[in-house]
Amino acid sequence: MIELLAPAGNLEMVEEAVRNGANAIYVGPHGWSRRRDAFEMDDAGVRDSIRIAHHGGAKLRVAFNTNMQSKEIPDLLRRMETFVGYGADGAIMTDIGAIAVVHRQFPELIIHASIGANILNDADVAFYREIGVSQVVADTKLTLKELASRKEQLDVGIEILIHANYCYTYLGKCWMSPYHRLERTIDDAGKDLFKGSPNRGGLDYRVCLEDWQLYSGDIKWEEHVALKNDAFFLVDDIPHLIDLGVHCLKIQGREYAVSLVGAIVKFYRDLIDTYEAHPKGEQFDLMPWKARLATIQADRDGQRSKGTQALLEEGRIPVAAIRRRD
Amino acid sequence: MARSFELNTTLSNLRDLKASDLSPYDAIYLGNITCRLYEANLLERPDDLREAIAAVKSQGLKAYVTSYAAPRNDFLPRLRKAFNVAAEAGADAVEVHNLGVLKIVREAHPELPVHIGGFANVYTDAGAEVLKRFGAIRITPNYELSLEEIGQIQRQVEIPMELLIHGKMPLGISDYCFLLEYEEAWGMKCPDLCQQDLFLRQGNWAMKSIGKGVLSGHDVCMLAHLLGLAVEGHTHFRIEAVSESPAYRLEVGRVYREALERAFAGIDRTEERWWETIRGHARIGLCNGFYFGKSGMEYVGARRGAEASGLGRPGTDLLQLSQVKGVIR
Repeated sequence: MIELLAPAGNLEMVEEAVRNGANAIYVGPHGWSRRRDAFEMDDAGVRDSIRIAHHGGAKLRVAFNTNMQSKEIPDLLRRMETFVGYGADGAIMTDIGAIAVVHRQFPELIIHASIGANILNDADVAFYREIGVSQVVADTKLTLKELASRKEQLDVGIEILIHANYCYTYLGKCWMSPYHRLERTIDDAGKDLFKGSPNRGGLDYRVCLEDWQLYSGDIKWEEHVALKNDAFFLVDDIPHLIDLGVHCLKIQGREYAVSLVGAIVKFYRDLIDTYEAHPKGEQFDLMPWKARLATIQADRDGQRSKGTQALLEEGRIPVAAIRRRD
Repeated sequence: MARSFELNTTLSNLRDLKASDLSPYDAIYLGNITCRLYEANLLERPDDLREAIAAVKSQGLKAYVTSYAAPRNDFLPRLRKAFNVAAEAGADAVEVHNLGVLKIVREAHPELPVHIGGFANVYTDAGAEVLKRFGAIRITPNYELSLEEIGQIQRQVEIPMELLIHGKMPLGISDYCFLLEYEEAWGMKCPDLCQQDLFLRQGNWAMKSIGKGVLSGHDVCMLAHLLGLAVEGHTHFRIEAVSESPAYRLEVGRVYREALERAFAGIDRTEERWWETIRGHARIGLCNGFYFGKSGMEYVGARRGAEASGLGRPGTDLLQLSQVKGVIR
């Protein structure tokens, strides 16, 4: 059966996701995943998340999907040992060095290559397999044809993001945000939060979503330029993905309200279960599902838009000003 | 401190190669990593690539063949051809930005030295170790790394790190060229769209756009820190001028050739005429990228940079931040 993987930015969200039918949950320890620290957890939070997930029959993965500093790897290993001891079912990772080191130290731990690894071709997948990865998140820009090729040729689990945004750039290959603003803050545990750099575990100011003007030399050619950033909800593709044998459907959104994440999980749980129960060969009507998604989508778009405006405003604050205020 | 160094740059096509005086450089990366449709991209034209390798080598320079920053499955046959040409024509190395492509090169051409490009996302010494095991002999670390982090990788893994010391720093790569939306309005078609020296601007934010790629608006400039880099053991340097004019390539290249020779002789002094040249070519201004652990568009100044990175003792004539502000338009 295909797995539904849900995000959780706090314990209440873990409970809500499990209650609504997620098969697996992912959480991020403070400073170690691709979200701002407000949506990450301390060690006790990760421990309690594992307990809640397991109690509800779900798995719990810990996201260490940052590109950390070399000197932070020993701390990563200590944290990983702690979470493996708590019973974590897998780790989501990006840095190839950290993956290789973790695989060497915890050979039984299932390692998922994060979306940030930006795995784009079949040879790429083979590389990650070789260093210890057993499941990869497909880049959001890959086509079904590319995914089918991968599934046929490679012995690897494939995860698909089904509810997220297409960035203008490839995820993991963009540092526009820290180019404009990077705030170095060390948390109580000694982790550099790299605020402004999503690749390094900090928040993303979504600089790409600015209302840009386009100049050629000193002459303004366009007053308003928006770089592409469309939300996508793969309702149409879900039957194909299930038939293709994809292992996991993943939802993004640790930063959303608990109730919204609950509604999203419930929607996809019901859709997957209904499709899997319907007689093979018979047409599956997606229209009612699209209507139901529209309400969720409006709520989600509203929350995201509000978040984007706040991030862009935050991105304009000089780093020095923040330091003085602190 | 090493006595010799390599200064290199990048060229996308034969036109740029023929129009450029490459005398300041020791090596040239050939090919455009951003887009398959880039005008006469050497990676898409085996005959042109063969001619370019020969032309570069005939000038006594090393010829490196680069490859795409974000190669999907359908890019791979073309890249295999480019690597075949690289091997046949005697290229001195290939550069890969993708780990799958690294595997492909090692399997098809184990004799070809491999450099790892900036989009391969090397952030840690452990990552560099993995790539060294896969046969890499040189690494351009991810641009987000500070000099302190880069130094640690170089010391720990004992593999040369290549540093972008001047030019537009890559900030992102896309599968989508938004400039195509303007073909009708501008009366211009691909591949001319991305050749128009385009900048996305808003307030004091600016980035250069090349359609499927975004570059820093400010020119990364490490002119004031070359002695420190030499003392740290760095010997491979790139001027990223792929989207610039032949005049930029030559004049900025000459400045850095002279400045590096002086730095590698242990002399810590810059010339005002160098700064005039640099200022003349920087459309938006200068920055230090992420080398000093700050936002990439900041220019921290020589003294603060030296303090932040532990690079060599600031000299008596180093450019101060107040002077640099004068060049930021």
